[in-house]
Amino acid sequence: MKSESSLFGHRWLPLLFVAPLMLLIVLFFYVPVFQAFYWSFFLEQPFGGTSEFVGLQNFQRVLSDPEFWAATGRTVVFMLTASSLAVVVPLMLAIAADRKIGLSYTARNILVWPKGVAGASIGVVFAFIFNPFVGLMAPLNALFPGLWNPGIDGTDAFITLVGAHVWSGIPFNFVILLAGLRSIPHTMYQAAAMDGAGPWRRIIDVQLPLIMPHLFLTFVLEFTESITSVFALIDTITGGGPGGATTLLVYKIYVDGFRGFDLSGASTQTAILMVFVLLLAACQFFFLGRRINYER
Amino acid sequence: MNKFTLAAVAAVMAGAGSAQATNFEFWYGNTGPVETAIKAQCDAFNGSQSEHKVTCVGQGSYEVSMQKAIAAYRARNHPVLIQFFDAGTLDLMLSDAVEPIQDLMPEVKWDTYIAGARTYYETSTGKLFAQPYNASTLLFYTNKTELEKAGITETPTTWEGIIEAARKLKAAGHACPFVTDGDTWRVLEQFSARHGLPIATKHNGYDGLDAEYLVNTTFAAKHLANLVQWRKEGLVRLAADTKAGNYTAAFNAGECAMMEQSSGSYAAASKAFDGKYQLTVSMAPMYEGFQRHNTFVGGASIYVMKGHDKAEIEAAKAFLDFLRMPEQQMFFTANTGYVPVTTDVLDAIAKSDEANSPKYATAKLGVESMNQPGTPDTRGIRLGFYVQFREVFMEETQKAFSGQQTMQVALDNTKKRGDQLLRRFEQTYKGKKLP
Repeated sequence: MKSESSLFGHRWLPLLFVAPLMLLIVLFFYVPVFQAFYWSFFLEQPFGGTSEFVGLQNFQRVLSDPEFWAATGRTVVFMLTASSLAVVVPLMLAIAADRKIGLSYTARNILVWPKGVAGASIGVVFAFIFNPFVGLMAPLNALFPGLWNPGIDGTDAFITLVGAHVWSGIPFNFVILLAGLRSIPHTMYQAAAMDGAGPWRRIIDVQLPLIMPHLFLTFVLEFTESITSVFALIDTITGGGPGGATTLLVYKIYVDGFRGFDLSGASTQTAILMVFVLLLAACQFFFLGRRINYER
Repeated sequence: MNKFTLAAVAAVMAGAGSAQATNFEFWYGNTGPVETAIKAQCDAFNGSQSEHKVTCVGQGSYEVSMQKAIAAYRARNHPVLIQFFDAGTLDLMLSDAVEPIQDLMPEVKWDTYIAGARTYYETSTGKLFAQPYNASTLLFYTNKTELEKAGITETPTTWEGIIEAARKLKAAGHACPFVTDGDTWRVLEQFSARHGLPIATKHNGYDGLDAEYLVNTTFAAKHLANLVQWRKEGLVRLAADTKAGNYTAAFNAGECAMMEQSSGSYAAASKAFDGKYQLTVSMAPMYEGFQRHNTFVGGASIYVMKGHDKAEIEAAKAFLDFLRMPEQQMFFTANTGYVPVTTDVLDAIAKSDEANSPKYATAKLGVESMNQPGTPDTRGIRLGFYVQFREVFMEETQKAFSGQQTMQVALDNTKKRGDQLLRRFEQTYKGKKLP
């Protein structure tokens, strides 16, 4: 304590040091957020000019728009399916890589690589992999014509999107979960094995409870991230189609605001989405977070 | 190294000394061969004189260019000239951010612009709002070699003829007789225009912001329902049905035998067909019993943005004058497949020794198509949030193509959602009058 105060002799000095960073956060986060909330109460012309205060009319309109709810519904379905898979798949891989089996060390390295690939690039690659004529499903399509076509069938497009998201989520969640598994003392397994617990029993009763903090972290990050980070994938794989089947809320906001120049409509939806994400994270902490034991 | 590049190099060397040159920016959205041609024109302008210097900035797409222009305008940091596409016409007209071109340059002979190109960008008093730049229109392409293989010797000119040909092609084992992407511009806008059908009341919005969509009640609804039926029969294919995944590529590769596409596609198609297939291109097909009207001008035009000093405006005017010159328009047409839209250029092409060259093939045809007799409903589209409407139309009709709903339900939904957009646009620009 003493060394700290002697380093920062002046009480304002530490604040001065963080000021540039705070300024950036305010400029590039809080100001736009405020702007979005502000515009959501106005009818804003794209090039400025007069804007009319309309109170809650934008919210009324958006909340009574079936398209908004359809996009929200798709967002929730995506969140539940893609985020769950994006945690469960890396969890299985991490448990496998944690065991002393051949190539597990190599796998630990290779599985981290996708982290270095940008979302848009993943999108382009997956669009090719799932192409109905030249991709992975092409042989199946040859047997059953019309079975798989993400360009026509909305469900196929949605599955493609989930697949790409899960794949892109593997490295980060894998690292977190593997770190959790590696930190469990070996004596625990040995004790469990001595007591006659088989591998499955050890996973369920020893490993999973002990990596709960890590699982919780990955779930919270995945649930909140999946809502916004899926944008690059949608933009490159499906463009929101076919028939709007992959227009999740975040993409709808982009299309309305940036392609349709509907600033007020996009701002209103942004405000709603932001509140939704905050509530979601709050719920997770409130209902799940308190039950997690961080002590070992 | 072409002469434009040489001119550009000369300009850089000459320009080094002229410090007083007025610099100004021009933002465009095209990429590929069109971008190359635009850059060449910029270099040629800078090389032709030392008084003004244009900096041409490619933004990657029309939408991105517009997004940045909106942000830049709000920050008072916007370019003098910006190119923007057909669907955003009304947004810019009401924006108060652009200077009507004909007010700014009253001395120019604007009546050389053909009617089909004028009416789209004209105010209610008949003044041009923007200078048409890269103009295109819808044409009908066929792979003559494939058609002849199936025993079709005459290029069809009607939808009835196309379907008859498609049946023959299918019977001959052809997997993709006719291909389209179902894009709003192609299957609704250009279809309605040439059949003389309105897209919305108030003459597509020209007579007021309180227009309402009519797409679910006109003959266009019947045509769209036909497309769904023909696709089921295997006569019409959508882009996603093709191996290429892109309908133009599918046609160019010989996978599909007929397509409706912009005149701007001609250069690529004739290059791809070279030595393999014979290409025909003609005006877009009509249903029997309908009189042919003009097609809309597609592509984009150039707007002058407000808030710049006199010197910059003068420089921009000089650049616009330069782009209007027949030799510049001919260069642009020859290199991109876009259509020249002034009569003097058409005359110049006819008089040149390359009048029958394939690089000018679509110019005559495109102009002919845009010069067909018009009605108040074929002037253009002046509807608010129209870019969003195009998205809505695509979304609803795709659901009809995949069988989730009938085309009539899709178009009823399109009308309903489209009208909501129009009402909100009306409220957003409350108290503003159409120029």
